Amino acid sequence: MTISQTDYESSSAKGETIMEIRNASVSFDMERGDSRVLDSVDLDVHRNEVLGVVGESGSGKSMLASALLDAIVDPGVLTGDVTYYPKNETPVDVLDLDKQELKEFRWEQVSMVFQGAMSSFNPVRKISTHFIETLNAHDYNVEEGMERAQQLLRDLYLDPERVLDAYPHELSGGMKQRALIALSLILEPEVLVMDEPTAALDLLMQRSIISLLQQIQERYDLTIVFITHDLPLIADLTDRIAVMYAFEVAELGPTEEMLERPAHPYTRLLLKSTPNLESPIDEMQPVEGSAPDPVNVPTGCSFHPRCPLADDTCKMNDPEAYNVDATHHVHCHHWEESADAIPMTESSTSVESPTDRIDRPTTRATRRSGDQPLVSLDDVEVHFEKEKGFFDFFSDPETVKAVDGISLDIYEQDAVVLVGESGCGKTTLGKAAVGLQRPTGGSINYRGEDIWDVHDSGGSGTLDWGEIRRSLQIVHQDPGSSLNPHRRVKTSLEEPLKRWHDDLDGNDRKQRILGLLDHVGMSPPEDYFERYPHQLSGGEQQRVAIIRAMLMNPDLILADEPVSALDVSLRVEMMDLMIQLQEMFDTSYLFISHDLSNARYIAEKTGGRIGVVYLGELVEIGPPEQILHNPQHPYTQALRWATPELELAAGMGDDQTGGSPIRNIDIPDPTNPPSGCHYHTRCPEAREVCKTDSPASYQASDAESHRAACFRTLEDHEYWNSDSIVDEEESFDG
Amino acid sequence: MATIDWRIRRLAQTVFTVWAVTTLSFVLVRLMPGNPMGAMVRQLEQQGVDPVRARQLVELRLTIDPNEPIPIAYVDYIVNVLSGNLGQSVYYAEPVTQILAQAMPWTLFVLSWSLFISFFIGIVAGALMAYWEGGKFDVGLTSWAILMGSIPYYVLAFLLLIFLAYRLNWFPTSGRAPTGVPAGFNWPFIKGIVHHATLPVLSMLVASGVASLGMRGNSIRVLGSDYLRVARLRGLSDTTISTQYIARNAVLPMYTSFLISIGEMFGGSVVLEQVFQYRGLGYYLLAATYQRDYPLMMGGFVLITVAVVLALLIADLTYGLVDPRAGGQNSDSY
Repeated sequence: MTISQTDYESSSAKGETIMEIRNASVSFDMERGDSRVLDSVDLDVHRNEVLGVVGESGSGKSMLASALLDAIVDPGVLTGDVTYYPKNETPVDVLDLDKQELKEFRWEQVSMVFQGAMSSFNPVRKISTHFIETLNAHDYNVEEGMERAQQLLRDLYLDPERVLDAYPHELSGGMKQRALIALSLILEPEVLVMDEPTAALDLLMQRSIISLLQQIQERYDLTIVFITHDLPLIADLTDRIAVMYAFEVAELGPTEEMLERPAHPYTRLLLKSTPNLESPIDEMQPVEGSAPDPVNVPTGCSFHPRCPLADDTCKMNDPEAYNVDATHHVHCHHWEESADAIPMTESSTSVESPTDRIDRPTTRATRRSGDQPLVSLDDVEVHFEKEKGFFDFFSDPETVKAVDGISLDIYEQDAVVLVGESGCGKTTLGKAAVGLQRPTGGSINYRGEDIWDVHDSGGSGTLDWGEIRRSLQIVHQDPGSSLNPHRRVKTSLEEPLKRWHDDLDGNDRKQRILGLLDHVGMSPPEDYFERYPHQLSGGEQQRVAIIRAMLMNPDLILADEPVSALDVSLRVEMMDLMIQLQEMFDTSYLFISHDLSNARYIAEKTGGRIGVVYLGELVEIGPPEQILHNPQHPYTQALRWATPELELAAGMGDDQTGGSPIRNIDIPDPTNPPSGCHYHTRCPEAREVCKTDSPASYQASDAESHRAACFRTLEDHEYWNSDSIVDEEESFDG
Repeated sequence: MATIDWRIRRLAQTVFTVWAVTTLSFVLVRLMPGNPMGAMVRQLEQQGVDPVRARQLVELRLTIDPNEPIPIAYVDYIVNVLSGNLGQSVYYAEPVTQILAQAMPWTLFVLSWSLFISFFIGIVAGALMAYWEGGKFDVGLTSWAILMGSIPYYVLAFLLLIFLAYRLNWFPTSGRAPTGVPAGFNWPFIKGIVHHATLPVLSMLVASGVASLGMRGNSIRVLGSDYLRVARLRGLSDTTISTQYIARNAVLPMYTSFLISIGEMFGGSVVLEQVFQYRGLGYYLLAATYQRDYPLMMGGFVLITVAVVLALLIADLTYGLVDPRAGGQNSDSY
């Protein structure tokens, strides 16, 4: 929903309160002491608004959600007041309800959608059973209720027959999440509380669900409380946003205000640290420090240890709500100075950066074209056969074409970021590129030699398998499981040095590792040197894993979602570090990411390329400015649409204000991909010819390295004379 | 679906397993030192019969030729088994099928009671332990379960025999049915066989220890699951939640271990029936081994193999009915 002037007027007109939270606290009695995971929160939820609650992990936002339904899990204790104001009836004190009243209150008045849709259904019962038992438990008419369920599922672009008759495991994550939304609305509640409902899903699916929510909210007259860590995601869904920090509400205001004139230093820093597509990359900075422990919250303003404005007042006094204006409240003593102290756009410094950005890639691209590629993938195919039993002599096994004919050249000091939905084959492609997955077709050449020929022949004199293995390294998504938990940091890091630099003695090795640890910001290095992996934070573990890969002195590192396991505020920092290490060690990167804004950050900073993968095919590749601002393939356009923006309506291009650019929310079955262009089942531009012919990779724009696999890039293709297969009725528009 | 239905494949695997085990047992049995001839001659000699005369007597009775080459004997045996003939017991001079048929019900009687009682105790105890996780009941029962799990069943059998049968005279020390009572459907006889079966069944209850620990783990996992939380918020009744949500999901993994323990218990019956002189399948199997009674040994092995493999087959084929996620590759998941 774009917040235009009229919308905002109406939202303030409907500013009647439906839920009121006063002085709500949740405490857990833990061995280390009393732990407060929600600390005296006051909040009003207005009727028919969408209220976004944003916070990092461990900020108490999930507790707030549970508090609205008086559903704090044991042994947490909720105190304070939660009042619900039904239409034209007496207010209800939620915490005072007895068991029966609570049962009627929950789901009939206020219902909830959890983050774990994957596990929110009983695995042994059909989806329809979940609807029926809910209706029965609340003495609703089952027949009417099931009709409503069908309508809800249809509104969420699901096929009611198929979904109701399925067991939970038969549905994809996105379908399950939508079915769960339908289940939460089955008793026609007034308020819907959503706790990170899209966090486990792909960006495109997240975005599709958000646009569905907008429709649902209007159609069913709902009040939605949407809890998330991802501020940009909800920027154009919400009417108001509350930012939580350290178990308290730090700031609350209308969305527009919060994005354009945030008053709390934390909100400002959070907005600056969030990777997105529009703001210049040099302005993205991490929030220094880390979130406080619930047992040991700092006195006074809990943000003061990380706050650039903090003074003695902040250390002593917990700030009350200051009114910025009638609708915008901030818990900060110095909110009036925050805008000057933490400017959202560093206009003074960023003047040269745009030119800088545009210069680098072009210079690199020209230099590259003549060079020999470092690693070259030529028509690589990786097909997995589904499990084949002992007695399957006669039947053809089903194959999943994880990678289906991709060619890609990676040069020295290059960076390629592969982007795509989960299950599209980007990780398999990456593993094939670094020789961890043997392709079933095509070849992978390292400095001109086919690596699997080298592997089979045992080396050809100039190059042996060990050398290739050393040159092609990997950094995994989850650093916790890629470090041996029983080995100290020093043992893990000494290993590659012992193996590849046997001329170094123990002291040299130690000095080198200490130097590197210090360099990546793990100081004092002598302390970290002796630690075990579990004594490190996630970000520190990932740094050790990266250093370990770097010590092999590799030519190419496959970084498989290296930052997605980290908190949002740490991601930019980690990406900066990786880029810096690239220059230091003179290596190339093959990044894998599901997030276009992370991809853009890395590709722009390194002058690399972004490659978009869909169902085993590389549908578009090119420099980031082309991919982001001039995407040629409809799938890239869809991903671009799905990537949330911080700016509101004014900053949006034409494709942003319109509906969703995909016709079908769900990805087709990869064992049986659509014929012709794999994307034609979801493509809004699909025509008859796309069903039968598979497009090759064509030059997509003036930029030399920009290629796309879509007929629309050709001016004289038969596509333009072919009939459209897009049926206006079926199209899904947000 | 292009692949062969997995059920047919699974059935073929079952047949293959039975054949492989039969073949292996056959070869091993024949390779054991001694043969039925030697065993019987030795027995007759001990009774004072002249060795030459004993050899002649035995040769008259012997229905198989122990010196026949293994491959030939094997082919003969397989052909006979396929036509339903398990051969003639050398020692008992009766058809093997007949001996097994009259021993089998007794073993099944003890086994089925042991299984049901121990799993019932295990599941109930496990569920309660999970419900009061960390409490006194949980700690106490966990120690009990570990104790039960670590005692070998035959040691428990001896202890029970010494204290409950010899010292206290509460139970008979051996046998499977009261003497002097006509077999049939009458109260004294039924009471008698239950009385005789009590100690063997009690010894097998060690299995409940492992079962209860398994159930405890499963229940704790289910109690912490998101779908349980959602179900509570949806206001479902306690009955629905405890039966359809907790019990159903926690018992699922127990189903396989239940059918697997059928096999273990068959193996255990060999020793157990010896301890209690309980004339069931295991008792005859051991006797046959002492006597090198090839046909009876093979008959016992084949029967046990078929029983265990069938139990696993049933577990595989029916698991899809209790757990939809295991519906096989034929479910059109999307």
